[in-house]
Amino acid sequence: MSALEQYGLLLGLTIGVIAFVLSLYLFTQMIGKTRQEPAKDVPATGGQLSRDPVWVRYHARYYGYALLFLAFDMEMAFMYPWAVVYKQVGRVALLDMGVFLAILFLGLLYGWSQGALRRQ
Amino acid sequence: MTTVLILLLLALGAYLVAVIETWTITGRFQLAAPLFAGIALLGRESIVPRKPDRIFFEVAPVLLLISAILAAAVVPLTPDLIITDLATGALFINAALVYVLVALLMAGWGPDGAYAMIGGWRFLGQLIAYAMLIVMPITAVVMRAESLLTTQIVVSQAGVWNIVYQPLGFVLFFIAAMALAFLPPFDLPTAKGELAGGVEAEYTGVRLAVFRLGRLALIITLAAATVIFYLGGWQGPWLPPWAWSAIKILVVTATMLLIGRFMPRIREADLLAWCWIFGIPLALLNIFLVGVLVLVLP
Repeated sequence: MSALEQYGLLLGLTIGVIAFVLSLYLFTQMIGKTRQEPAKDVPATGGQLSRDPVWVRYHARYYGYALLFLAFDMEMAFMYPWAVVYKQVGRVALLDMGVFLAILFLGLLYGWSQGALRRQ
Repeated sequence: MTTVLILLLLALGAYLVAVIETWTITGRFQLAAPLFAGIALLGRESIVPRKPDRIFFEVAPVLLLISAILAAAVVPLTPDLIITDLATGALFINAALVYVLVALLMAGWGPDGAYAMIGGWRFLGQLIAYAMLIVMPITAVVMRAESLLTTQIVVSQAGVWNIVYQPLGFVLFFIAAMALAFLPPFDLPTAKGELAGGVEAEYTGVRLAVFRLGRLALIITLAAATVIFYLGGWQGPWLPPWAWSAIKILVVTATMLLIGRFMPRIREADLLAWCWIFGIPLALLNIFLVGVLVLVLP
């Protein structure tokens, strides 16, 4: 199979799953409808509407990790092609990526020393 | 043809996961229980909360199922039994499974319920903890296989399985896979008894059935991924390849579910701290060790 056909198959799989779920919804609608009754649609908060709105700004207390995560996640984009050719290129590849990773690791240590690895 | 067969096997696998999960929790082996539970869910009303973000609410369960099935599409059960042998297979598993986060965040935001919302945000923190421990061990596996093809990764383990070659990577990947599938010690987004089901709390009836199906498919897919990355895939003596795949996948699934039975739930802050202070340095060490081994060994 060519690459295009492979991705076409994956797209078909996605559409197939959606169709399966829709048919399941249709089937359950056929065997019985949801009755509209008062207070049935209150979210699970002890039977009452919650006092405060739910869609509010949320304090992402792990933001220190999140910033480090960005750096490491970008680095992974380089790691995959590097890993494929690693054995061919040999020792140079190990040194190149070693220096790169060492710098990143120093960044992690610096972040740790500054209290980034803590839920704020 | 292969596609249909694999989807049927995936359905069977998801069913067996449900059976094993009941067995690990209650100690009873009930082969028909998931069937009855599924029929019961289909028969129930599927209520929509009063002011939902309707698109997020409807898309979340479907997206969870899709991401699990797309990841399963590049996992080989035997040399031929694979839906598509993508040239970027190992990367594609990652890409597909990232949508688990998107689905759970949508399920948390969509229904406008407090418990669901907390569950969704918690899973975002959990992703920041486990994501690196998924990708870094896979990189080390790819270094040995010199290819992102999943079949090639299995073939590269012909002599020594990766669990022996890089045990550190296996342990990290196994833990991260459990966190990705939000299995018990890491079930922060659902957290039964603490968040009343969390992201699952507002789903009822057929939507909950789809959500749970997605979760079961995710567990079996991750077990299969662990097997092809670390346990030599279909390889093994005496038995035919498909039998080895089936045995290994079921054993890994049962192990994942059993570990959660004996562990208390881990707090988000602890999970983040342990993953970044111990997990990531160990994962980098693993890449370095494998790098040296690949160059030194013939």
